[in-house]
Amino acid sequence: MCPTTLGRIETRVATLFLPVLLATILSIATRDEGWVVTIGLYLMLGVALDVCIYQYLIRWQPPWLTGVLALVEFVLLFVLIKVLQPGQPGFADPNPLPGATDWHPVVLYWVSWCLAIGTKIVVLPLLFLSRIEDGGEFRRTGWTLPPQRRRVPLVAAPRPDPHSTAVAREFSTRFPDPEPHERQPGPAAPS
Amino acid sequence: MTPEDTTIAVVGDGFGSLLVYATAIYVGFRPEQIAVYGPTPYAVATYAGHAGNLGQTVLRSESESHFLPADWPTFAQLDAWSRRSPAPLLRSIRRRYNPGLAEILTEARTVEDRLGLRARRIPKRIGWLHRELDPEPHFLIYGEDELLLGRARHVAIALGHGPVSFPRVLAQAREDPELRERIVQAYEPKTYRDGGRYVVIGAGIASVNEWANALEAGAKVISLLRNPAPEEQDLNTPRCFFEAYGIDAFQELTFEQRVAFLGAILKGTSPRRRAWIEIVEEGIAQDRFDQLIGEVDEAKPGPAGLSVHVSSRHGPAPGWLDVTGVVCGTGFVRSCLATPLVRRLVDSYGLQVEDGRLVLRSNCGVPGLDLPESRLCAMGLLANSVVPHGDTIAGLKYIARRFVADCVEAEQLRERPLGSRLRMQLSLARAASGAIRRTRESEQLA
Repeated sequence: MCPTTLGRIETRVATLFLPVLLATILSIATRDEGWVVTIGLYLMLGVALDVCIYQYLIRWQPPWLTGVLALVEFVLLFVLIKVLQPGQPGFADPNPLPGATDWHPVVLYWVSWCLAIGTKIVVLPLLFLSRIEDGGEFRRTGWTLPPQRRRVPLVAAPRPDPHSTAVAREFSTRFPDPEPHERQPGPAAPS
Repeated sequence: MTPEDTTIAVVGDGFGSLLVYATAIYVGFRPEQIAVYGPTPYAVATYAGHAGNLGQTVLRSESESHFLPADWPTFAQLDAWSRRSPAPLLRSIRRRYNPGLAEILTEARTVEDRLGLRARRIPKRIGWLHRELDPEPHFLIYGEDELLLGRARHVAIALGHGPVSFPRVLAQAREDPELRERIVQAYEPKTYRDGGRYVVIGAGIASVNEWANALEAGAKVISLLRNPAPEEQDLNTPRCFFEAYGIDAFQELTFEQRVAFLGAILKGTSPRRRAWIEIVEEGIAQDRFDQLIGEVDEAKPGPAGLSVHVSSRHGPAPGWLDVTGVVCGTGFVRSCLATPLVRRLVDSYGLQVEDGRLVLRSNCGVPGLDLPESRLCAMGLLANSVVPHGDTIAGLKYIARRFVADCVEAEQLRERPLGSRLRMQLSLARAASGAIRRTRESEQLA
């Protein structure tokens, strides 16, 4: 598909609903905010990539690229986690290199990605019939340009010669009219 | 015959009618609120006939372009599930998947049968639509025999392509009974003979199919092109024009700009397919295939059956050729005036036509007849000045969904809830999958 920037962001936010739910439950159960913060970081990272990178780099996104992007985002998120070290001690390994306790965010990421991609492929098309056609945006099914919002055929704009059209010349006193004016009643005059 | 009163009527009985019908049922209309007018027994009948004559085995459409109302499952997913094979998914991921013709027509037949479209068909060709405003806006729908067949508040005109098109000289030559059977259209029935000599005009998908068909039958082929280098592109419409990026931008253009754009993108393209390339390369190696630049400007009976004179604006003219037959891959007449119903509407309601295209509103509405509370919407080729891929399955789906959404709004319909949609979609997918499993698997060509 050819997602728009808005479509990417809307899709990303909507598809992270289940991962957020899962991470919240895990955070409450383990009394460790690391789970839900990781998903928050994932969302922020994703939106930043959508706005700053993807919209310029990717116009048409074939299905295989979705998988490649998941890998790239995984690496970036892992680096962020290593730098920011969210959660209680033991949520992720504090060393800069991958360590034994890093499986928490790694598993969370891939489970979340599967939930998100499932939501995107299965649930969203059922809820929003024309989502793919609308570049991933959650628009109400409708025409891009309703007839009542069509542009008028002429829009005034500054031009070098304001009298370049016949009608402008006819109205202008600089150009004598070939025939005397007919004096019509004013617009507010009774008909 | 008692006139049929419905909320929605579809004039035309092909793919467009099925997509409008399926979408309408999916969002919550009842079958008895919809009528489909047209003489063919199934929505796929006309297409299947053309595709059979062409020897087509796969569609150029992508995985989303199929006949289930919602976009999940895609056709590759459905095919993979039906065959219990991941191959369609792997191909789809690499964008190398084309739905098999047998499979997709089977799916269409299944959707049609399961949703009860057959019972909603009125097997008559429509000759006239009359706008009525009293007591409330609606259309009177008349058959070609001038009988009133029905009334409907909203009408979609989905008439499909016009008649097949021939270059002028060949159209005249076909009037000679001796030559008629030697000059055929790619979409007409035909048989190639071993050792026969054929000229195939054009380099679009239909023509390339014919090169392969003739070569496979053991014939010799000269491919005749008007221009030296047709563009090579898989789909006639650029990919992003199937979605918001393109359609939004396209609709911002003036009608003249849109027509100019369509003129550029709808010129002949020659898609690559592995099997075709192999067949043609083999033909070249065996001196059975060649390509010339030129146009036929004279045709007469000849020693091989037919002699055609070919002139060229791009270098030396090939001159006279003795051939068994000429096959024209020149498609269909694109002018909307070639369709009697549209011509009558244009004449009677003074509709504007430019460059053979009906000037439509930005919602594919017919100006002067279309109202928000009673829509008259054009689909297919008629609408591709608004939706550039209007005559593809994806384009028909795009228009059908929006037309039905307008009907929902006008009728203030209570829409089908998500659970019911999911059940309907899964039930259709399951039935289609079962039917696809019983078809012979089409060979992928890409």
